[in-house]
Amino acid sequence: MTPVLRRLRQELFPTAADGALSLGLLSLLALAVAGLLRWASSKAQWAVVQVNATLFAVGRYPLEQQWRLWLLTALLAAATGLSWGLLRAHPRPDRTGKLWPRNDRLAVAVLAAVALLLPWGLRLALPLQLRWWLITGLLLLVRWLAGRFGGALRPAQLRLVPLIWPLLYLLGMVLINGGLGLLPVAPSEWGGLLLTLLTASFAILLCFPIGVLLALGRRSDLPLLRWGSVLYIEFIRGAPLITLLFLGQNILGFLLPGGLAPERVWRASWVLTFFAAAYLAEAVRSGLAAVSPGQLEAARSLGLSWPRALQHVVLPQALRIALPAMVGQFISLLQDTTLLSLIGLMELLGTARTVMANPAFLGRNGEVYLTLAVLFWCCCAVLGLGSRALEHRLDPRSLSQASR
Amino acid sequence: MSQVPAGANAPATSGAPVMIEARAVEKWYPNGFQALRGAELTVRRGEVVVIMGPSGSGKSTFLRTFNALEDFQKGSITVDGIALSNDLRNIDAIRREVGMVFQQFNLFPHLTVLDNLCLAPVVVRRRPRAEVEEQARALLERVGIGEQAGKFPGQLSGGQQQRVAIARALCMEPRILLFDEPTSALDPEMVREVLDVMQGLAHQDITMVVVTHEVKFAEQVADTVVLMADGQVVEEAPPQRFFHNPSHERTRRFLDQIL
Repeated sequence: MTPVLRRLRQELFPTAADGALSLGLLSLLALAVAGLLRWASSKAQWAVVQVNATLFAVGRYPLEQQWRLWLLTALLAAATGLSWGLLRAHPRPDRTGKLWPRNDRLAVAVLAAVALLLPWGLRLALPLQLRWWLITGLLLLVRWLAGRFGGALRPAQLRLVPLIWPLLYLLGMVLINGGLGLLPVAPSEWGGLLLTLLTASFAILLCFPIGVLLALGRRSDLPLLRWGSVLYIEFIRGAPLITLLFLGQNILGFLLPGGLAPERVWRASWVLTFFAAAYLAEAVRSGLAAVSPGQLEAARSLGLSWPRALQHVVLPQALRIALPAMVGQFISLLQDTTLLSLIGLMELLGTARTVMANPAFLGRNGEVYLTLAVLFWCCCAVLGLGSRALEHRLDPRSLSQASR
Repeated sequence: MSQVPAGANAPATSGAPVMIEARAVEKWYPNGFQALRGAELTVRRGEVVVIMGPSGSGKSTFLRTFNALEDFQKGSITVDGIALSNDLRNIDAIRREVGMVFQQFNLFPHLTVLDNLCLAPVVVRRRPRAEVEEQARALLERVGIGEQAGKFPGQLSGGQQQRVAIARALCMEPRILLFDEPTSALDPEMVREVLDVMQGLAHQDITMVVVTHEVKFAEQVADTVVLMADGQVVEEAPPQRFFHNPSHERTRRFLDQIL
């Protein structure tokens, strides 16, 4: 018997009762999958997704300006390839002593298969299919190059590499929004996956510093700061997001300094940010509470000022502990963006609703919702995998039996 | 306050300049408990002072006031000529000159042993990383764990961790080193290696104040042994007299309990 089969037998059929349970569950699973496959292949009509692929991707973003989004996608692919390759070139042992990253050949295979099959499955026009293949090729090429030659980089240079991500984010904003010589595209024309990812990433990036500050404020010795933070956190957590979104559409213009939230998309993004920050603050607070006071004392007695002690000693440990909770927060934030459809924004769910309202696609709700679910699942899977990788990279060995 | 008689171990310290001078220090915790009731102490440069006393006597609290980890409400403390006040610049200046070794080691678990040593000199003193690293490796050799530089604290034994903590404090080149029960959290077989390192540091231009229950260490290394009880310094004497001919009834009772 091969080792795989032996392991399967050990895990699924160790005793007769366990075997019966395994068989029962497996057959239930098989029935469900078979049913889904039968529906997806015979009854379902995927034209609704194929015809509207661009709408789901970017909404009503003007066709003649879409090259900017292609350029952004290509840059993102290159940056991903670069980071991935450099991580490969500088592997680190994780908790089990194995080098990380692991399984990345498998990841390449999965990525290549998806990139090859998906554009074809969506019946995209051939030039579009070609573009996707080129972008995937670029990612893999940069990954290979960085993996091959990135080992020569010194640590000081390596520390600069992550900076390409915030720079790319700002550049992406310019590319999407226009300005600096590019034709402006109003936020009301953004839609679909583009708008979902944009609002979610905006909120994730900005709620992080605000959440950390709130958590620190909540543990502060200054009563005003402490009670202000508590009041804010409890107020936000006490109100449903949808209420806050409607409220934001009406009053946020008065609260933020002039011009910061003139547009509905931005108002909604700020509300998401402030909402997520309150929850994130609680996650960070639990991390801060888990770091022993002795750590701060040791840092202070070495002469580190309070901000320095926070930066070098307390926060790295607290954030590492709070990471799983924070990523959980980010994932629910991503899914909360669907509520934006209720205030009339054309993000994924909003786009889906307009598509389903089209008489040509009457009764195709199943296909559309399934597509949506898969898209969200993919985004959340990326977040989850990324956080797991980060947890490994932040070296759990160092925290496993940490001294207090 | 009477002059501290010179210890048998290092008579040279009697005329040396005063490094720590604590006068009538009183401290209340926020819950109203008074931990220090007029504690007094004078420590001269190069001296090794051991503070003993029953638990709850305020000896750790007293030690922690010397680098402003604890504040106090009455009295005065002068460390290396700088008067301890609530002025933050003063506190930072004093903490740079005063190293501290804790009962629970308090190493930074997310940094390697080498980075534990290098963090403060690079961030606080702004010294070049390469130079600090060289010094750090030399210090690790000196405390007998040169080969562990790349490991994380969680991978070391308690005794090794405490030796790293001592090296970390030394890396800031402090003039005063405070030890807060450095061997109390250790398994018995690891106490020796830490005490050996501490003995190696004694009488080498560095001033040491040690809160400990290790009688042997006090007898062999200390210039002055101090007994604290109920937030006050009860007895202050060279080890010979402290252990064999104490002048206070309270000291005799304490020695009866621990010897």
